[in-house]
Amino acid sequence: MASVATPATGLTERPEERRPEDFHAGRTVVKWITTTDHKVIGNLYFITSFMFFLLGGLMALIIRAELWSPGLQVVDNPEQFNQLFTMHGTVMLLMFATPLFSGFANALMPLQIGAPDVAFPRLNMFAYWLYLFGSLIAVGGFLTPQGAASFGWFAYAPLSSTTYSPGLGGNLWVYGLALTGFASIMGAVNFVTTIVCMRAPGMTMFRMSIFTWTVLITSILVLLVFPVLAAALFGLGLDRTMNAHVFDSETAGAMLWQHMFWFFGHPEVYIIALPFFGIISEVLPVFSRKPIFGYKTLVFATIAIAALSVSVWAHHMYATGQVLLPFFAVMTMLIAVPTGVKFFNWVGTMWGGSLSFETPMLWALGFLATFLFGGLTGVILASPALDFHLSDSYFVVAHFHYVVFGTVVFAMFAGYYFWWPKFTGRMLNETLGKIHFWLLFIGFHLTFLVQHVLGVWGMPRRYADYLPEDGFQMLNQVSTAGSFLLGASMLPFLYNVFITWRKAPLVTEDDPWGFGASLEWATSCPPPRHNFNSIPRIRSERPAFDLHHPEVGVFSVLPSQETSDQLDRKGSHA
Amino acid sequence: MDLRKVGAVRRPLKKTSPSWRRRCAAVGVGGAALLLSACSPNVHRGYLPHGVTKNSNDVIDFWLSTWYWALAVGVLVWGLMLWCMVRYRRKKSDTGFPVQMQYNVPLEILYTVVPVFMVAVLFGKTVGLENKLLDAEPKPDVTINVVGKQWSWDFNYVEAKTYDTGIMADMKAGKKGAEAALPTLYLPVNSRVEFKLTTRDVIHTFWVPQFLQKMDMIPSKVNRFAIDTTEEGTFKGKCAELCGAYHSQMLFNVKVVSKAQFNQHMADLKKQGKSGFLSNSLNRSSVMPQDQQYLPEGVRASDIVKEGK
Repeated sequence: MASVATPATGLTERPEERRPEDFHAGRTVVKWITTTDHKVIGNLYFITSFMFFLLGGLMALIIRAELWSPGLQVVDNPEQFNQLFTMHGTVMLLMFATPLFSGFANALMPLQIGAPDVAFPRLNMFAYWLYLFGSLIAVGGFLTPQGAASFGWFAYAPLSSTTYSPGLGGNLWVYGLALTGFASIMGAVNFVTTIVCMRAPGMTMFRMSIFTWTVLITSILVLLVFPVLAAALFGLGLDRTMNAHVFDSETAGAMLWQHMFWFFGHPEVYIIALPFFGIISEVLPVFSRKPIFGYKTLVFATIAIAALSVSVWAHHMYATGQVLLPFFAVMTMLIAVPTGVKFFNWVGTMWGGSLSFETPMLWALGFLATFLFGGLTGVILASPALDFHLSDSYFVVAHFHYVVFGTVVFAMFAGYYFWWPKFTGRMLNETLGKIHFWLLFIGFHLTFLVQHVLGVWGMPRRYADYLPEDGFQMLNQVSTAGSFLLGASMLPFLYNVFITWRKAPLVTEDDPWGFGASLEWATSCPPPRHNFNSIPRIRSERPAFDLHHPEVGVFSVLPSQETSDQLDRKGSHA
Repeated sequence: MDLRKVGAVRRPLKKTSPSWRRRCAAVGVGGAALLLSACSPNVHRGYLPHGVTKNSNDVIDFWLSTWYWALAVGVLVWGLMLWCMVRYRRKKSDTGFPVQMQYNVPLEILYTVVPVFMVAVLFGKTVGLENKLLDAEPKPDVTINVVGKQWSWDFNYVEAKTYDTGIMADMKAGKKGAEAALPTLYLPVNSRVEFKLTTRDVIHTFWVPQFLQKMDMIPSKVNRFAIDTTEEGTFKGKCAELCGAYHSQMLFNVKVVSKAQFNQHMADLKKQGKSGFLSNSLNRSSVMPQDQQYLPEGVRASDIVKEGK
């Protein structure tokens, strides 16, 4: 067999070669589209998913503008409005949040376990291309004569059949999503294999960073539920294009679709939540200068959430009158327990720490404040007795934006500001980052807090128009104003990315924040082609911290009270 | 166990300045006042619409008590976070590390077990109330087969053997006055009314916000729930499940009237020639055999549109 030369891991680009004026667009494009490097693929996921984030956000702004007042002013007809919210949901869930998980997992997980790359680099790249083209196919519906899919992102049968939703847009939606689904599945196979087989010496399972744990558990969830989505989509695709009868109403197709869709759909919420909890669990300890509190309970809580999440799908179907309410209610409510454990662990991490408020920490705290409220309304929605009123109203819209936006977007920016030096070799500007945070934080809460009230008052979701007599206008205007502030908050971020790319100095240390814990902070910014020139000894769940702060290790085992008192006295004398 | 233990970073509790506190309090009070003054009749029922069925008060009470508990937990956790941010803020002059505390097993057990009990209580109360809301036992005084269709409603008044039918709302381009032309469902006051919910085409949801509950209409299925009307009035009704382009125009009115007026309206409908039913045999997919039993005679899939008695 052909022998393959071991690539020299020390062959990093010299810093002076990465000056912006030496940036060759063509060379970069060729490098990126031919790469199998997990870091570059991670960047591709980041860039692509962020583009879709902006696209989905633009659709949201059109939706909000339309709801400013009764009557149709912005869209031409309600069908266009339906296309917009359908594609907004689809883009945000399946083309932004889910691939963003793949982005962070690709960019960080191999670094955190001390692996040179993922287990199947080519499969990894193939998955990215499936995601990109699948997404473009689904969004391409806008270019067809009848427009994009308009049956809502959960495509309930029989509305999603050709009888009620003819047009090519629906077909493109179905098959495009099937492709992106395979991207997620292949990504998950890759991540599981990498984590199980490619950890560095000393990196036992219970020394992995919390983020890596969430990648592992999320990937297992992906493997459990994305195939179900694929089956459902292929069934719908056959119905739409080959006159099959999989989801015929007369054979209970309407309920069959809902069960299949939500069996995927609910765990999907955790697929896009758990890794972002992981990011928060990485950021908080660094800026609290303490290890994560209750490491093992956090891991078990993550496993518990994932396990429960596959047995709660019918809480999306309380109002169907066709499900066993008490079972799904109790399972749903139980999710609050491990989620609460996570919250207390995050608070415990900050408790007694030494907190500084750099931008990543700000975003992490913004996540905590926002997601908590989403969690509380989630417990309320878990009760069918209350959900009978709230289901399919703006209360639900507000709830899931608190949960999903609160998690994905806040944690994404926490992650971006935190790991930007690791991804690019440059720090983002702190001042711009803080402006970005406050604009977004205020904009977000202005947009979505009032929607709870709108829903309780009786505004159904997915309404293109409402009557002046409904009394919904004032709160809708508050919400719309907030959404434009939220949209505007992207400008300082984009400027920040641009200006630091051009101007910011290169980061020379491995750990620019100074208190990094997990292994990625023990290699250069950005890391060399195969990640590490040397791997430090891994003797705890924070190898980089042990490496950079060996003197602190002694505190990992708490001194007895007498010793502490002695130390205290010594300290106060000094 | 004292969580703070000893640490290199340790200093007395930071006092917030009085002016800062006063400003916070002013903002808080101002915000609360704004909220209260804008919608004061709403507040005592937690922004829920004024309920008009026998179970409404139970739903409102349950809603309020769940919120009290939820907000109590919220205030606790937000408070802990704020406390950490204020108390453990690293000053410019600080150096070194706090105690590297990683575990506190009794505390972790505590905050795992206590929520389980809270969930148990919430679950118990939920089951009681949802059973009440879905109770199918007491015989209804009036049965109505409400049929959803893109994008309006048919109402079959089963006992009176009459029907009414609607078309989708003309939204008047955002001007007032659309509600007068909406299809109107009449109900007698102080009666038990059962709704048999079916659909001609796609999934719809029958929602009268002031009933504080809703239910889907699933193709080929029959859903049902019953309410006890308690007061007269005109209420808004909406479709709550996306059902196609004109979903937001699938509106109706509910008029709860005295029994005499209700009977008069039934007679009026018959006078207009609306005798018999718009049966479920008109649906684009027929009702499944096992669900036929839930449909009253006359509106079943096998029945044709009947004229007269």
